[in-house]
Amino acid sequence: MGAVTYAVWLALIALSLAAAALALDPHLGGPHRRRWWQGLALASAAVLALSPHVVTFSQQELLVFLTINTLVVVSYRLLALTGEFSLGHVVMMGFGAYASALLSKQFAIPVPLSIILAAGLTGLVAFILAFPLFRMKGFYFLIGSFAAGETIRLLWKAFIGPKGISRIPGVPDIEIGAYEINFWEPVASYYLVLVIAAVSIWILWRIEHSHIGLTFHAVHWRDQLAGAVGVNTWRTRTQALVLASFFAGLAGALLAHYLTTVNPNRFAVHEMVFVLIWVIVGGTATIWGPIIGLVTLTAINEVLLRDIGYDELRPLFYGVLLVLAMLFLPNGLETLPARVVRRFRRARPLTSQG
Amino acid sequence: MTFGSIDRRKFIGTSALAGAAAATAVNPGRLRAAETVRIGFLAPLTGGVAAWGLPGLYGCEIWAEQKNAAGGVDIGGTSYNVEIVSYDNEYLPDKARTGAQKLINEDGVSFIEMLGGDTMPAVTPIANRAEMLVSTLLPSDLSPDTPFLVAPAEVHPIYNLTGVWWMAENMPEAKTAVICAQDDALGRPSVATYLAAFEAHGIEVKDTIFFDIATTDFAPVMTAMLAHKPDILCLDTAYAEFVNELCKQAFVQNYGGQIISCTADFYADIIANTSEEFMEGVIFQFPDFDDPALNSEGINFNDPNGFFQVYNERHPGQWGAVSWEYASILDLWLDGAQKAGSIEPAAVLDGMKQGGTGAHAFGEANWWGEELFGIDNALVGNWPVVQIQNGKAVIVEFKNIPEWWGEHSATMIKHFEAMGEMWYQRA
Repeated sequence: MGAVTYAVWLALIALSLAAAALALDPHLGGPHRRRWWQGLALASAAVLALSPHVVTFSQQELLVFLTINTLVVVSYRLLALTGEFSLGHVVMMGFGAYASALLSKQFAIPVPLSIILAAGLTGLVAFILAFPLFRMKGFYFLIGSFAAGETIRLLWKAFIGPKGISRIPGVPDIEIGAYEINFWEPVASYYLVLVIAAVSIWILWRIEHSHIGLTFHAVHWRDQLAGAVGVNTWRTRTQALVLASFFAGLAGALLAHYLTTVNPNRFAVHEMVFVLIWVIVGGTATIWGPIIGLVTLTAINEVLLRDIGYDELRPLFYGVLLVLAMLFLPNGLETLPARVVRRFRRARPLTSQG
Repeated sequence: MTFGSIDRRKFIGTSALAGAAAATAVNPGRLRAAETVRIGFLAPLTGGVAAWGLPGLYGCEIWAEQKNAAGGVDIGGTSYNVEIVSYDNEYLPDKARTGAQKLINEDGVSFIEMLGGDTMPAVTPIANRAEMLVSTLLPSDLSPDTPFLVAPAEVHPIYNLTGVWWMAENMPEAKTAVICAQDDALGRPSVATYLAAFEAHGIEVKDTIFFDIATTDFAPVMTAMLAHKPDILCLDTAYAEFVNELCKQAFVQNYGGQIISCTADFYADIIANTSEEFMEGVIFQFPDFDDPALNSEGINFNDPNGFFQVYNERHPGQWGAVSWEYASILDLWLDGAQKAGSIEPAAVLDGMKQGGTGAHAFGEANWWGEELFGIDNALVGNWPVVQIQNGKAVIVEFKNIPEWWGEHSATMIKHFEAMGEMWYQRA
């Protein structure tokens, strides 16, 4: 694989690390902080726009799936802001995939509309699930979300079949004059999911920095105190679950129409474990943390280890990397730039003495 | 797996080339192949289904190494070295799609071998567009929408009927059965086959129990099965680790009747976890290739005993159901390519299906499947019934599937329809 491909992946990791560094340290950049953000946004836009044209064909596919997964991990973090970790998020993604597949295939609803409806239906299911689930907290919520997710997944198996649904219609082609955009091609699909993911992430970022987002934090760290001052903690947690599920459902619907197939095993608990690993390794302090975890581990797992011919040993490397990250970066990779800067600042006086 | 700084595949490839070079030196008449034909291997090499992928890759690598050491394969007057290019799809559709794109567009393969199942629907549109010949071990992937997909080695789950058929002839006292299966694309059509076979041979099925693939505790599954006091425990097409766990539970719960299973991969481990006495007489469908019965006339797999020996030297304890199957598909692909005089996928497909018959590993077979799969892209003929005797898998008889089909096809179709597994019932 060419050096350019690795350069793209390294650039994606570096840009997300830089964004995390800026987000974590409000003093970084000093008076030019705004310019730093603008520069970073421009650089990110350039790398994201150019990357599918310089990587290989299979890497283009990988970029599509990576962008869809970005939506999954960022939406997962929104729920995590309230202090609750769910094991049903991937099933919510699957619900969006199944709903959109059925709406478009069985009821002939146009694909763009079915994608939006599916995301809305996923949010509705999350709202219904909130009634039993938010009678629990912490570990009990974790197990409850797993049970609810497995129930939904087994219902798909029972009523739709273990093979799932195939021959799902794809996103329809667009003709602009003589120019035709064919979403079967990974580059076109990549730009489509990139725009949807970027808008979704912007919405999630706005929510986090709004009054609602502040109550999420309050419920996480001081839920009884928040309740005492009039915050409805059940409603706040439900809002987070519904919003997170809406965007997970959106990601699932995009996946279903790109792959043209869904099956229950794709949304089993072992896939949820990967989401947890991406989020934990990346960190949850900023919106960039889960993205760093996702991009870094995908690059190692799907690009580097495959390229050097270690297909069969990838789960082992994945496990070792997770253990190392937990040992040496317990707050996630997003804290790495700050740690490096701190070490550099501490080392500098010694160097000048020497 | 590395040897110094060289990975295993490079090591095998280098060894093969060294062997070929040595052979050329000894026999100047034998020339090294000038061209290379690449074969894609797109199957699970990691994860829960790896037992039906990785051992097959090992078999293909040995097959390619032997062909290359003999100077390559001659197709249309050109001598080709064979290179196996693998991609681990983890039994996930998105990874399978990425892998198919890589193998076709970047690696330039002429043929792709797959396990099939959950991963096939994501690959089919790509294969159809590229007109790429793809093989599956699961004919339930076949449909009129898959003109470039063939099932030339294993007609899963249809061959499972041969075990029931043999049992009915040789163990007439066994009259009741209970089936358990994982609830997935492998388990369900296999249950339909066993139900049809038991019905055709007058064996009453007391219950069919489906369990999820996330199941880790098989004690309740086995307790529910044994509550019916069956003469036969049918483990269907359970994944290797499930068969192991189910046998352990049957042993712990003092089951003393007959066991029948599609596979008994790594059966030495199962014996170690239970006992030789307990596993004595277990019937399944996949022989060890050191079996003397495979040296008989009509067997088309080249030197099965030698292949088994090399395999076990390289990968001790790794022999399983698929170890020979992917390699035997390569035999059929080569036969098709030689008939066509080309490595072009469409031409090879025509070559493979020429005359409506093919040289299946277990004997001459017919291209078949229209009634069940909507397309005649499955190669069906004889299949062995295997029994564990004194701790060793032994072929007890070859049974002819078309012969059974001629008598009982209506029963099979009835159960496939009831299970929603006919090609026209798939979602």
